[in-house]
Amino acid sequence: MPDRIKKFLDSGALFIWFCGTAVAASLLMVGGVLLLIMINGLGFFWPHALVEMTLSDGTRVLGELKSEEVIPYSETPEFPKGKTRVRLKVGNRDLYGLDFRWVDTDRIASADSPKDAVAFERREWGNFYGRIREVSRGEDIVATGNQEGWQALQPLIGRANDLHEEIEHLQRDVIGDINYEIEGTRLRIRELELHGRSQTPEVTELQAATKQLESRYHKHVETLRALSRQLDEYSVVLVETNGSEKRLAVGQIVKALRPNDMSLIEKILRYFINFWSVLSEEPREANTEGGIFPAIFGTVMMVLIMSVAVVPFGVLAAFYLREYARQGLIVRVIRIAVNNLAGVPSIVFGVFGLGFFVYAVGGTIDNLFYPEALPTPTFGTGGILWASFTLALLTVPVVIVSTEEGLSAVPQEYREGSLALGATKFESMLRVILPSALPGILTGLILAVARATGEVAPLMLTGVVKLAPALPLDHHFPFLHFERKFMHLGFHIFDVGFQSPNVEAAKPMVYVTTLILVMVVIGLNLSAVALRNYMQKKFKASAV
Amino acid sequence: MRRFAFANVTSRFCGNRIVFLCSFFLAISIGSSNQSWAASESMVDPAWKDYRQVSGVSGNLNSIGSDTLNNLMTLWAEGFRREYPNVKIQIEGKGSSTAPPALIEGTAQVGPMSRQMKAKEMDKFEAKFGYKATSVPVAVDALAVYVNKDNPVKCMSMEEVDAAFSKTRRRGHAVDIDAWGKAGLDGNWKRTRVSLYGRNSASGTYGYFKKKVLKKGDYKDEVKEQPGSASVVQGVTEDRGGLGYSGIGYRTSGVRAIPLSAKSGAGCFDPTFANSSAGKYPLARFLYLYVNKAPGKPLPPLVEEFLKYVYSKAGQKIVIKDGYFPLPQTVITKILGDMQ
Repeated sequence: MPDRIKKFLDSGALFIWFCGTAVAASLLMVGGVLLLIMINGLGFFWPHALVEMTLSDGTRVLGELKSEEVIPYSETPEFPKGKTRVRLKVGNRDLYGLDFRWVDTDRIASADSPKDAVAFERREWGNFYGRIREVSRGEDIVATGNQEGWQALQPLIGRANDLHEEIEHLQRDVIGDINYEIEGTRLRIRELELHGRSQTPEVTELQAATKQLESRYHKHVETLRALSRQLDEYSVVLVETNGSEKRLAVGQIVKALRPNDMSLIEKILRYFINFWSVLSEEPREANTEGGIFPAIFGTVMMVLIMSVAVVPFGVLAAFYLREYARQGLIVRVIRIAVNNLAGVPSIVFGVFGLGFFVYAVGGTIDNLFYPEALPTPTFGTGGILWASFTLALLTVPVVIVSTEEGLSAVPQEYREGSLALGATKFESMLRVILPSALPGILTGLILAVARATGEVAPLMLTGVVKLAPALPLDHHFPFLHFERKFMHLGFHIFDVGFQSPNVEAAKPMVYVTTLILVMVVIGLNLSAVALRNYMQKKFKASAV
Repeated sequence: MRRFAFANVTSRFCGNRIVFLCSFFLAISIGSSNQSWAASESMVDPAWKDYRQVSGVSGNLNSIGSDTLNNLMTLWAEGFRREYPNVKIQIEGKGSSTAPPALIEGTAQVGPMSRQMKAKEMDKFEAKFGYKATSVPVAVDALAVYVNKDNPVKCMSMEEVDAAFSKTRRRGHAVDIDAWGKAGLDGNWKRTRVSLYGRNSASGTYGYFKKKVLKKGDYKDEVKEQPGSASVVQGVTEDRGGLGYSGIGYRTSGVRAIPLSAKSGAGCFDPTFANSSAGKYPLARFLYLYVNKAPGKPLPPLVEEFLKYVYSKAGQKIVIKDGYFPLPQTVITKILGDMQ
């Protein structure tokens, strides 16, 4: 026996088993996390069935069945395994106070899923579950009853959503443009004043232009009010399952569904529509509802700016360290310092970014170039540029280290051969060594992108906000607005998950945002990998 | 008698200008309590006025301050922008302590705070401008003590809450409440340990609870400090022995906000709107906006209109929607009158 064990140990098979177990455990954990996020996140888009229950005291409950659990310590002879209870999303927050409700199973007298129950997604107060009593236009009743009202409501909701889109367009694009111009002229006037030229004809001209812009603005505001009035034109009286009524303007409804009356294909279609609307829409109700488009946009844009900033710096530093600097004590110390920099907690970089970029650099830029806007800071406050630079600092060690790895993998014969053929050191560096080291450089970029997308802590100090009024990229010159604050998926998760009241209703949003963040990370990584493969192929071809 | 005591407490955390306003607020009786939580309609004061747009409002409004008020400020900003699409509002909510420096530097025109400015902060403001910053209460928050939904505990006195959270027990409860049996529960609950959830020390709520409940005593080391109010509620939801504190706006179906009594033996009161405004619930507090207003001069039109919006029907309905308690019109009239 001992012999066989000794033989087994000596063969090294045990070690292989350990390695295999470690790999399997890692894969299992990664897979588990992804699975958890997907189970919780992907279910969010599905139009869930509605259940209507009559309780033993005669009251009724209507909502989506969310979970079931055994009530602890409730085992009795009648309930040998313990009583259970179910959690329902009953919505109607304005009437009930809470979106969710626990119901003990033994109190349920009967339950069914009525085909005529309607789930409304509203612009305020979350969902409403119930039925339609009447639809009216002003004082005149257009339709009464659930079935008739349902049919009358469909085109009205479509029209209301079109109106909302029109209002959005007017507010954001048309009025946004006017505001941008007004702000520009205001700053120009202020600038002239600061230079002591407040009496020149240019100022009068600018003031006249402002007046004109303002009158244009007021005209649009009138249109806007007219459109808003149209939203309130039709109203609907909803009735919840116990009979309480609620009057609602049709403009308040985003969509109305009868999930129990939908076929599987309709549900699948609805699933993808919901998914798309989360990806493409602006958030509503302090971010707990609506979409997350600005956060996706902000995340991607920040990572791109960071990549543009970090690669040249990291690569130049690595070239100097590996190719030019005399290897000795100082270079070794620098290398150790770079490696340690990679281990510094990210919040430290955040504090540095705030102190150096935002206050020192940004404050100076404001004093020199934007004195007319003070005391409102332009660059002297957090913004997407400073956040990207801070993350660039955070990830520069990764790029340096992997570029150095790439450089050390280039065979010495390449360098010597290139020099022997008469190329200068710079030429051989550019034509021979850089292309050979490119995979290493791009690996560094991939690692940097992966690290940067997941960071939140330093961003909170350097420019991320809960709700940014405008995207950092638009059609106004110079298109990229580096000074603007931005939204970020990681911060969105933190904010919605830990800061929002009614966290129960916002929880699916947290999982959805997490899922999309993971998808963005994977997407960015894959595009960096694709870039690396493309470059590799290209340079291999040119080298031959 | 207790109402009087509450008036004293409020006067300490109400600003000098607002002291009599607060007592005024207490004097308003809302009728008997024990109304259901749900009835958001019951908080609506029919006297609230609709917001009226005025012309000439434009520009940027920056708000820097409390994270408790962050959501509320965002909702107000969304509503205000519907009235004035040409106004840009940026909101940062990283804690009440960030408001005073921002007001002093001029980087923000509005500073939301879940507590009053400290004397030190006010002195700095006064040194720069020569007058004090103006505080206006905009909503009422009842700091609730949450237990798991299964927990049958009926009521806790302030002494008991102190004895559960504090190792110093400044309120003088005889024993350390470390198991639910010591709070009067029996059966399976008797030996269930009290598992404590609280906020991190940067939070204004942490400071408020420490001052009002612990009488500036020390928290126990085993209090699990959470990064946000919502995560306190989540913790208590998952933990059957859980006990935590958070604003009333964060209530969910997984937890129960227990009634509190100001003194052991005194009456217990739920953290409802009626009890808070009648001064019966011991942990009701105001939430404030701070603005820079020179005496004798009007506020900048943008800030003034924003405040008017906050005090309008639409603004106060948003307060209800966010889970906090609104102000009655009588109080609002008083505040707006004082500002003139």
